[in-house]
Amino acid sequence: MAFDIPTRSDQLPTDAPRFIGKAVNRIEDPALVSGTVEFIDNLSLPGMLHCAILRSPHPHARITGIDASTALALPGVEAVLTGDDVARWCDPCFTAPEGWGNTCLAVGKVRFVGEPVVAVAASSRYIAEDALELIQVCYELLAPVANPDAAMAPGAPLVFENRGTNVIQSRTYTWGEVDRIFADADRIVSRQFRWNRVGANPTETFGCICQWDLADNSLTCRGAYQTPRFMAIGRAASLRLPANKVRIISHAQGGGFGGKGGPRGTDIAALLSRKSGGRPVKYIEDRMEYLLAGGGQSWDRYYDAALAVKADGTVTGFKVRLVDDQGAGAEGYGTISAAKPLAAFTGNYRIEAAFYDLTLVATNRAPTYPYRGYGPPPHNLVLESLMDVAARELALDPAELRRRNYIRPDEFPYTVPSGNEYDSGNYAAVLDRVLELADYRALRETQAQARAEGRLVGIGVVSTVEPGVFDWNAYATVGVPGVGVPEGVKVAVDVFGNVTVAVGFNLQGQGQFTVAAQVVADYLGVDMNSVKVTTASTDVALPHFGQGGSRLGVAVTGAILGACDKLRQTFCRVVAHVMHAEPGQIELFNGRLQMKHAPEHGMSIAEVAGLMLSRSDLLPPGVEPCPEASFVWVSPNRNQPDDQGRCRSYLTAANATHVVQVEIDRCTGQVKILGYYIVDDCGTRLNPANVEGQLQGGVAQGVGAGLYEEYVYDPQCQPLVSTFVDYLVPTIHEVPMTVKDHLVTPSPVAPLGAKGCGEGAIHTTPAALLCAINDALAPLGLECRETPASPQRLWKLLHEQA
Amino acid sequence: MSTRQTIRLTVNGKSYEREVEARLTLADFLRHELHLGGTHVGCEHGICGACTILIDGRSARACLTLAVQADGADIITVEGLRNRETGQLHPIQQAFVDAHGLQCGFCTPGFIMTTLELLGENPDPSDEEIKEALGGNLCRCTGYQSILDSVRLAARRLQSASAA
Repeated sequence: MAFDIPTRSDQLPTDAPRFIGKAVNRIEDPALVSGTVEFIDNLSLPGMLHCAILRSPHPHARITGIDASTALALPGVEAVLTGDDVARWCDPCFTAPEGWGNTCLAVGKVRFVGEPVVAVAASSRYIAEDALELIQVCYELLAPVANPDAAMAPGAPLVFENRGTNVIQSRTYTWGEVDRIFADADRIVSRQFRWNRVGANPTETFGCICQWDLADNSLTCRGAYQTPRFMAIGRAASLRLPANKVRIISHAQGGGFGGKGGPRGTDIAALLSRKSGGRPVKYIEDRMEYLLAGGGQSWDRYYDAALAVKADGTVTGFKVRLVDDQGAGAEGYGTISAAKPLAAFTGNYRIEAAFYDLTLVATNRAPTYPYRGYGPPPHNLVLESLMDVAARELALDPAELRRRNYIRPDEFPYTVPSGNEYDSGNYAAVLDRVLELADYRALRETQAQARAEGRLVGIGVVSTVEPGVFDWNAYATVGVPGVGVPEGVKVAVDVFGNVTVAVGFNLQGQGQFTVAAQVVADYLGVDMNSVKVTTASTDVALPHFGQGGSRLGVAVTGAILGACDKLRQTFCRVVAHVMHAEPGQIELFNGRLQMKHAPEHGMSIAEVAGLMLSRSDLLPPGVEPCPEASFVWVSPNRNQPDDQGRCRSYLTAANATHVVQVEIDRCTGQVKILGYYIVDDCGTRLNPANVEGQLQGGVAQGVGAGLYEEYVYDPQCQPLVSTFVDYLVPTIHEVPMTVKDHLVTPSPVAPLGAKGCGEGAIHTTPAALLCAINDALAPLGLECRETPASPQRLWKLLHEQA
Repeated sequence: MSTRQTIRLTVNGKSYEREVEARLTLADFLRHELHLGGTHVGCEHGICGACTILIDGRSARACLTLAVQADGADIITVEGLRNRETGQLHPIQQAFVDAHGLQCGFCTPGFIMTTLELLGENPDPSDEEIKEALGGNLCRCTGYQSILDSVRLAARRLQSASAA
């Protein structure tokens, strides 16, 4: 059977969608505002133990001895786990290139402050924490590798001794005649940039409850899991279990943003369960653990980049050298984070040639992980900052320079030099709309007045492309084998006509359960209230991936449309049979299976499902009494990368332009956001309120990364950030209330024309803020090229100049 | 090392008498002894505000309060807002739903409890007053704009309900 996945909502079997495209209330919310959602720490199991972890105080040291005998003797303590157990039972995580991964507890030596060394399971978390104080660990200190320069210096201490080097990966990509383009340029603008570490910091840290069934040698893990099937495969690999004996039950998560770091905590809790005779063991990471060594740190980058520009402002070439401090190992799929910019390397522009040199190094900082956007936020900051430098040198307005270089609407589908294909867009129209929304001319006038008064006011105008709907194929280019990125759902109609959608992921905040209910309700013509969306555990779920790479809203929509089309075809056969007609004479429309030419003859969805379940004698031959259908959606038309990493990697290309006006306080260095305007185009907005929420939330995280947040380490690799007093997550006072509008250029290739929209704002906001800051500083001849542009950093810049 | 103490307190209108360890936090007491899991713990050092509850009508951090300190107190948690029999949401809760004032929902009980205190004291707050009140609650998902909208909506609805 062939299945039709509509790319437009007017192709749905209804005269007018009642839910898709509307800001309907989220089905997730009544329980969330009531405090009754079962986040993992709300669950207790009979006989459950609690885990606490002793962590390394040293960035680099050999472990010469561990004495946990006193701890083990403490009443209430049931098991103590050390590196010896881990060496016996456990392999390094498989998310790093071979040889660059860590085990869940340190074996032999520690590589970063906060690395787990010993774990305890006790009858309460309080007793487990008491036990940690009774454990003696002897260390022989090793010289730390503090930064990439030190890591690459001859004779540097080795973070992973058996590798013989601290360079995890080093490679170049050349797209087009880069040397000729740069030789022919009228002007080359180049700068260095430093993007300091930031991180996800969801308000809920990671947590899990693991139970090892010693009779069956199987493992059940309940927890805050973002990508459940992937987590099951990973645990099977690290814990040496058959994959079908690892069952992951994903609970609702208090945010994720890529950085939940489940593998390490899960392996520790699982092994403690194994060691305590199979009792369930709960591990709830605390915030200090998260900030020291959790799954959230990302993008510790040094850039050296250049643009080739013609006198008329045409940008022809873009070169980037990136050195990325991955910390102590690449266990967070760090190579992908560096390669992700390939999907939109040259942004919104018709830049014909590009070059990318990336070097990923290991140091004794904590390992880095995915964080929302997964690479483009710093990359876009570099590209957009250089666009502004070029505009200043050519005395062009930054908006005008961008406009001259945009890919034009008639050029889509457009293949960028780095290989990805953008599906659609109208960048100039987005720019026009945001300049109008912001009253750009008035902003420039107020800036001129402010400058005349000696105030430091600047404006940023920044455009970005958001690659959406990630597919794994692209990352073969950086040595990461693909695991596939499918999304499977099962749609089932019960005897009363209620519809249940079983998915493989759980709530994380983006509202995908609501989107699923909207799509299924519009397709089958039922009310949203009669749709239940539920999470299947990995032992029974269809192949799925879950949240990640701006994909899930699109992917789950595609999966539901596929399943609904299967159901429709089956229902047509059933109805044709009982009505003595041919299936081709029956259609689904507004929730009824009816004769195409005599719509008054037909049956409701509920009647068909009821008939199938209760009167199997009336079914046509070959049709099972099962009004259910499954469908596994994958991005269509993807391909493998060539030797320069070029491939169709991401299905959709949303875009946005942000305009921001800021003022820098000369006395404090603090940046005040005077106005923030956004126009975006992510195609069809399946639930406009969800899209707005994604945008505004991305702005908030972008404000954090651009102005405040930083994982600070001292020169000896000691983290100086361990609480929310030090790591400054923006509050309601720092985040601007943005003025937004949007355009809709539906994707011609994605389900219902929707494009991925979860990461675009964090791709854009840090760049927009830095461009505005540098516009403010321009009259002083100063530039800030380091993030976050924190008050102290800007104050120093202003002060040192004075 | 544990010293146990008996405490008597009222939570969401119900009286409890329990013997607790002196070091037990109020958050852990509410969550794990009384099974009121809506008071979420996000940082355990008083910054994020997810665990905000009302103690004798004043907002407080359950993570920084010991259970023994709540002896004799009258506490309201997020579970105390919804109508116990009908399940109907409190107007503040409904406003957060209607104005899309949440995404993951983990910080939301804290925001709702802070809003409950604010609107009890100031039924018609300005945007600046709302921001001042919510400045101690971190949200990582929404960017606060829809939260501000939610509080405005709740204030409007509560005012028109009391005027009616």
